[in-house]
Amino acid sequence: MKFALAVFSPGHAPSSRRALLFAQAALASGHEIVRLFFYQDGVHSASANVVAPQDELDVPAQWRAFVTEHQLDAVVCIAAALRRGVLNAEEAQRYQRPAVNLPAPWELSGLGQLHEAAQTADRLVCFGGD
Amino acid sequence: MSTLHVISHSPFGDNRLSSCLRLLGSNDGLLLCGDAVYALQPGSEPLKALEHANLGARLFALEEDLQARGISSDAARAIDYPAFVQLSLDHDKVNSWL
Amino acid sequence: MAKSLLIISRQAPWAGPSAREALDIALAGGAFDLPLGMLFLDDGVFQLAPAQQPAQLQQKNLAANLQALPMFGVEALFADARSLLERGLDAEHLTLDVEVLDDAALAALIDRFDQVVTL
Repeated sequence: MKFALAVFSPGHAPSSRRALLFAQAALASGHEIVRLFFYQDGVHSASANVVAPQDELDVPAQWRAFVTEHQLDAVVCIAAALRRGVLNAEEAQRYQRPAVNLPAPWELSGLGQLHEAAQTADRLVCFGGD
Repeated sequence: MSTLHVISHSPFGDNRLSSCLRLLGSNDGLLLCGDAVYALQPGSEPLKALEHANLGARLFALEEDLQARGISSDAARAIDYPAFVQLSLDHDKVNSWL
Repeated sequence: MAKSLLIISRQAPWAGPSAREALDIALAGGAFDLPLGMLFLDDGVFQLAPAQQPAQLQQKNLAANLQALPMFGVEALFADARSLLERGLDAEHLTLDVEVLDDAALAALIDRFDQVVTL
């Protein structure tokens, strides 16, 4: 079956880790993830500038590794990301900001990508909260 | 049609659980995860509300969240992540209360 | 046939970008001509309250964007009767033309959509 997964919480929220474990379990069970979409505070789950203490989980790093390993389509909502200071090189240059915290494998795009994924998938599952 | 409702906020000082219970359909399931598993705390008001809703085998809780919080409950079926994935497919859609 | 999506908006309007970002999901879907519905639940019904002056908080007027929903093809608009009642809001004086639903009708509403997002 095909899943579209949407993440609404930052990497330090339990629900971001929960989304990651769900995604891993879905692939392990032989299902497909058509797209990961990061919206609202979920854009922070994609940030490359999160520094977790050495003895704590670094969920954004785990997301990055997971997306890269499985070559997943991972989209960060551009409007939500700009509002929260999550920028790729192109946007940092466009708005003349000093830091880039969204390198590959993430893609910045619009909310239409969430709708497209929801149309393609058998299930849309959203993760947020505590 | 059936919906799997997923709640992850504590039921204390938050009305997601009570709103969910009043619009829950007769085929719908409810999965508690994160701080929402505190709703299964023995002797608590939310547990009474859950028992009153009489969900029977349609009430689930994420096992790791129960164990992390030292809560054990006969009211909900404890599930792991592969079972969570399957549960989302057993229902027609998933409604997460973000 | 396109899958229908119900957006349940339950955040008060001036507590950060949440309410606006819920609305943006609806507006983006409407632009793609997708079958969409929007239900205002819990504190989300405060988005429909009359006489709001968001300019006092230097905020954009959410009500104006809500009123654009039908123009974007989002005409299935609902509010929860109990949420309105609990908050002392009069269903006859809301800033948006919504159908007010009781508990049983809410369950039936969710049932008839293919997908649901609650935020």
